[in-house]
Amino acid sequence: MKVRRTVVKRILFLLVICFCISSKTIAFINDTVLPVATVSSTRQQAIAFIDSIKQLDSSAYWPNIKPSLFLQNLKTSIYQPISIYPGNGTNFCGYGALTYLFLQDDPLGYAKLLLQLYKEGEARFGNASFTPSAAIKKEAGRLKYKGVLDIRPAEQMWYLCLADHYKGYLNIFNLRYNPGDEDRFWASVNYAKFNRMARGLLRYKVKAKGADWLHPNVGNMYEYISGQLTTGRVVLFINNRIVHKKNHVKIKLALPTHFIVVEKISKQDDLITLVYWDYGGKTLLQLSPSFLRRIIFGITHFSKNESDAN
Amino acid sequence: MPTRLIHTILLVTLVSGIFSCSPKNISTKYYYQNEKVLDRIEETYKELSRQTPFTVGFTDKDFKIVALEIITDTLSYIYEFEINEPRLTDTLRAYHLNAAKITRLIQQMQGIRCTWIKNYDYYVDEKKNTLIFMSIKPVALNAPFAYKKYYTLTYFQQPQYFDSEGRLLDKRKRRRLRKINGEIFKRINDKVCYTISGKFR
Repeated sequence: MKVRRTVVKRILFLLVICFCISSKTIAFINDTVLPVATVSSTRQQAIAFIDSIKQLDSSAYWPNIKPSLFLQNLKTSIYQPISIYPGNGTNFCGYGALTYLFLQDDPLGYAKLLLQLYKEGEARFGNASFTPSAAIKKEAGRLKYKGVLDIRPAEQMWYLCLADHYKGYLNIFNLRYNPGDEDRFWASVNYAKFNRMARGLLRYKVKAKGADWLHPNVGNMYEYISGQLTTGRVVLFINNRIVHKKNHVKIKLALPTHFIVVEKISKQDDLITLVYWDYGGKTLLQLSPSFLRRIIFGITHFSKNESDAN
Repeated sequence: MPTRLIHTILLVTLVSGIFSCSPKNISTKYYYQNEKVLDRIEETYKELSRQTPFTVGFTDKDFKIVALEIITDTLSYIYEFEINEPRLTDTLRAYHLNAAKITRLIQQMQGIRCTWIKNYDYYVDEKKNTLIFMSIKPVALNAPFAYKKYYTLTYFQQPQYFDSEGRLLDKRKRRRLRKINGEIFKRINDKVCYTISGKFR
């Protein structure tokens, strides 16, 4: 039993090399705007709501969150969803991708949910009932050395709440938060957990193809993603360690580590151009069809219509 | 020669071989041995990236494949080129970067086995600061008994605070260690720190 546990721990340790490290802290301006008819609430509604709040009092539940910074952060997220930043070196990329879609579909719902969490220390949304632990409440507002996330307490609170509430098999050895756990398995997101969060929180029909250990069986990857983009949004679960190499080790574990939101994909001759969102901005990457196939482990499609999800 | 003496000599040679290649020996000494080149790379990068933000590094062990990330207001562009490929200079020109100076910078980086250079933002008292993050793969860290590690330097714009062991501290709460990219850094001088890391970016 002990040996098995050690083996499992080792596998999990190998996975930790991964999750989502980025250094981009630039706020980009061109933002994806969805047609009004397809969103749960509009950005204008959210702006009207958030701009009507001139001042926030300190929260008894979140002792280290500065109210003025919280409000400023919430406004930035509503005005510029593209600028949300899950933090340098954290395992928050899955929560970031989810939040990016949340802000585009229901910014008013997002603003109200975060304000309720801030003011009441707990909140309900979709099928989730957030009752953050005392450790989370103490830590939000104090995360450091994470890039611009350092001065974004609303996002800190939100990502910590998501990681505290949703659990997957990667989290089983580290269920309770201790300072620094945002970089460890406590915050990790496996593919099934990501899809569970998306189904529970977002007002989309969610269809997932792929797994943590196997590439999705969808035939031509480029054709499949292009097709899915015509009817909704697409999140890819990718092996980021071969896209953004961090060392020169030749043999790397073929495992996914990062969530990205696809903005555009096109192909010319045998070269695919992929534009995606992650960590506060959009990135353009050119790659071959075989490399695209090599890096993708999960393709999640978010659509508004039932028929598009089939 | 008695067998015992031979064994002792072999053991001493082996142990000294291991320790001569260990990251401990590379610390501040490496910086001072290569100070001029390292500082020149940092200065050049600082000047060039101020005009158009970019990061550059090598993704292969032979230092022949250049990874270039160009950051604009709307998009970050990621490219990989072979070092002598004409596409590299064409791309730099297309983004209005100083192709000649960046090519020279890349050659300097290749010469000293610098794997990556980038700007890194951090916040003190809610104010944004920027440092330059540079990682190097020195030959000594490639030796058979050495760990597969990188020598990483950080160039701050202002003097920093350190504890009695020379570890970089948070400015505001001076007892708290400042971590950059998940690593604890040690003092070389008031503005330059180093660490030995398993990753170059």
